[in-house]
Amino acid sequence: MQLKHDKGALRRTLALAACALAGGSHPASAASQPWSLDSAVLFYNEVDRVSVVEPVVFAKRELADGGSLGLHGLFDTMSGASPNGAVASNRTQTFTSPSGNSTYSAAPGATPMRSFRDQRLGVGLDWMHPLGRLLRSNLSATLSSETDYFSLGLGDTLSLDSADRLTTWSLGAALSLDQVQAEGGAPDALTLLSAPATAGGGGDESKTVTELQLGLTQVLTRSALLQANLAVAQHSGYLTDPYKILSVVDASGATVDYRYEKRPDSRQSQVAYIKWVQHLDEDVFHLSYRYYSDDWGIDAHTLELNYRYELGGGRYLMPHIRAYTQTAADFHRYFLVQGEALPSAASADLRLGAMDGRTLGLKYAVPAAHGGELSLRVEWLQQSGEGHPAEAFGTLRSYDLYPTLNAYIVQFGYSTPL
Amino acid sequence: MAYTPIIPLLLALVLAGCSLEPVKPWQRDLLAQPSMQLDPAPVDSYLDGHIYFSKEAASGGAGIGGGGCGCN
Amino acid sequence: MSRPTPHARARLTRQGGGWVGHFTAFGSPCELHVDHPEERRARRLLRLASEEAWRIEAKYSRYRDDSLLTRIHRAGPRGVRLDAESVALIDLAERLYHLSAGRFDISAGVLRRAWRFDGSACVPSHAEVEALRPLVGWDKVSWHAPRLALGEGMEIDLGGLGKEYAVDRALALLCAEAPGTPLLVNFGGDLCVSGPRADASAWRVGLDDPAQSGAAGLATLALSHGALATSGDARRYLLRDGVRYGHILDATSGWPVQGAPRAVSVHAATCLEAGMLATLAMLRGAEAGEFLREQGARHWLVP
Repeated sequence: MQLKHDKGALRRTLALAACALAGGSHPASAASQPWSLDSAVLFYNEVDRVSVVEPVVFAKRELADGGSLGLHGLFDTMSGASPNGAVASNRTQTFTSPSGNSTYSAAPGATPMRSFRDQRLGVGLDWMHPLGRLLRSNLSATLSSETDYFSLGLGDTLSLDSADRLTTWSLGAALSLDQVQAEGGAPDALTLLSAPATAGGGGDESKTVTELQLGLTQVLTRSALLQANLAVAQHSGYLTDPYKILSVVDASGATVDYRYEKRPDSRQSQVAYIKWVQHLDEDVFHLSYRYYSDDWGIDAHTLELNYRYELGGGRYLMPHIRAYTQTAADFHRYFLVQGEALPSAASADLRLGAMDGRTLGLKYAVPAAHGGELSLRVEWLQQSGEGHPAEAFGTLRSYDLYPTLNAYIVQFGYSTPL
Repeated sequence: MAYTPIIPLLLALVLAGCSLEPVKPWQRDLLAQPSMQLDPAPVDSYLDGHIYFSKEAASGGAGIGGGGCGCN
Repeated sequence: MSRPTPHARARLTRQGGGWVGHFTAFGSPCELHVDHPEERRARRLLRLASEEAWRIEAKYSRYRDDSLLTRIHRAGPRGVRLDAESVALIDLAERLYHLSAGRFDISAGVLRRAWRFDGSACVPSHAEVEALRPLVGWDKVSWHAPRLALGEGMEIDLGGLGKEYAVDRALALLCAEAPGTPLLVNFGGDLCVSGPRADASAWRVGLDDPAQSGAAGLATLALSHGALATSGDARRYLLRDGVRYGHILDATSGWPVQGAPRAVSVHAATCLEAGMLATLAMLRGAEAGEFLREQGARHWLVP
């Protein structure tokens, strides 16, 4: 043994090691590195439509009282084109923005798309602090700003553990106050685009969202736990998309004019969510199901599976599958017919139509220096709806009224304790 | 509005939890692993949340206070 | 560590002006002495001590299907991510491996398939030992905290550390729960005291001569602080052709250390420190005593 002549040194080494081990309260590793950083850059690309580049940074600090402070920031750059709600036509269609400052057009047979470019800056704060041995509060505040949109969010979730810490009940409430500052002012709902711009259409609009959530997390076995949430939300105010329109067609199905869309000024939704986390020998899967329902007539089901496959040495592969389906909002129309009575609300937004979505993804992660992790995530997602609905007639029957959306996600991630 | 019988469902879960062999403190090694946390990759779920919020009519579920953008 | 203990209840009995609790863990009788008259306090402390012992035993047992060790063995080269407590224990084991130039090795447990120290003359053949040696060696293990991956077919055994660690942990828990209460924690002969007894006297600890079980005590020593740990077991040996093979195996050769004392007890500040000193001393063979003198550790040898 090499330490033969080092009298007593070995003993001091052992004494120190033993002391550290027995005296330390485990787990102690988190406290020794109070800051951690989680960051990613997301590239989101829709085929022929929108592109988004989004870097995000999450920083977290463990606090001495057992709580934690989280800060996050992001900066989106969005550009590209999205469907404006109008249907394809056999003629070139030209649209003027509400301000009249710009025009754009769609070729015959093409789905009209409105080009846009925007940036979003978002920051947020999370503060988790214990209120007692089993009770804690998680306070959050977010701020998000775009050229035409501003949002302020506040929320708090109280969590109560059972004495054996196998069950956690949570109750959360959140409020979001949003301002819509549409380019050129919000247009008058359901007015014809051909009508001269009224001075009345204009100012900023606002919207309020309040949410309440009851949650339960239950440890089932040594290797399984279950989370169940029930939430309700009330959206009030300006819920319309100021840039979306509907085509007005004549008896032959030809577009003769357009109207701005209008959505109800109130929306109540309920969500039931359940998640199962299971450890299998080495791997872990997360399986979740969500049921969503609102008074706009939308019912949606979401099923999601993440399977973490350990490759050894801290590397893992994580396949991701997501399936989604929704029914249409009651006021969703593909188009309006000239001469028919005007409904109280109407929108041709594809996101409010009946639709199915699917996602396939794969994430690969490797350990980085000092306990960090590097990852690459690639996903493909698709949304498709009924392109030839029964209500289509005349020339409308020859167009795909719900063009399928394909999008790709590439995300680079890096996390590290500081 | 179609309310599903969620409260009975939650209660059933609690009862199911009670009827199982209780997990002892020293059996929580697996549950303590980062991959076993309810949200093991908060950045991924944050970004996904943002994408699906802007592309689908349904939102929420895993937590509250999402949204916050003019994309929907 | 030994067979799983069916969680036999802990028993509490009055002794003098205090209480003594008994339970079984690590395949050994365990004791908690509480030098305080209040029964409820003693009962509460006994429950804490026994549950901590059973927790550590269950977590690092080689025999239990649901232990962390079993999970590590099953995962093999795919590796397992360890919790903070296990990371600290594995780090310590690695340090001992280096301090002993590889003779102390938690991956050496598989050698027991060849070596059965039952007092018989069944010394394994050279070939039998050699066949197992590819499965032994910390240098074949991938340890990048918190991730531990063993080579195919390898096993680890924290038996040389777990019991002593449990003694220290239990005492720390009890002292936090009832500061100032005079306590002695004894798990199968490895023990630690919180300080002197209530009347300021030292605890009297009897050191048995392992060769003559029970009756004739080798020594009684006074302990008013720190811990005492013993390495060696005189009942576990092989004897062939007049050569005695003690049960302490040198992981570098796969064979028992020659000339080691039958047992050595060491006094140190913590039970883990005492246990590690005792183990390292045994691995020194005939130089065990000299090693402990060099380290300035109070000790008792059974030659």
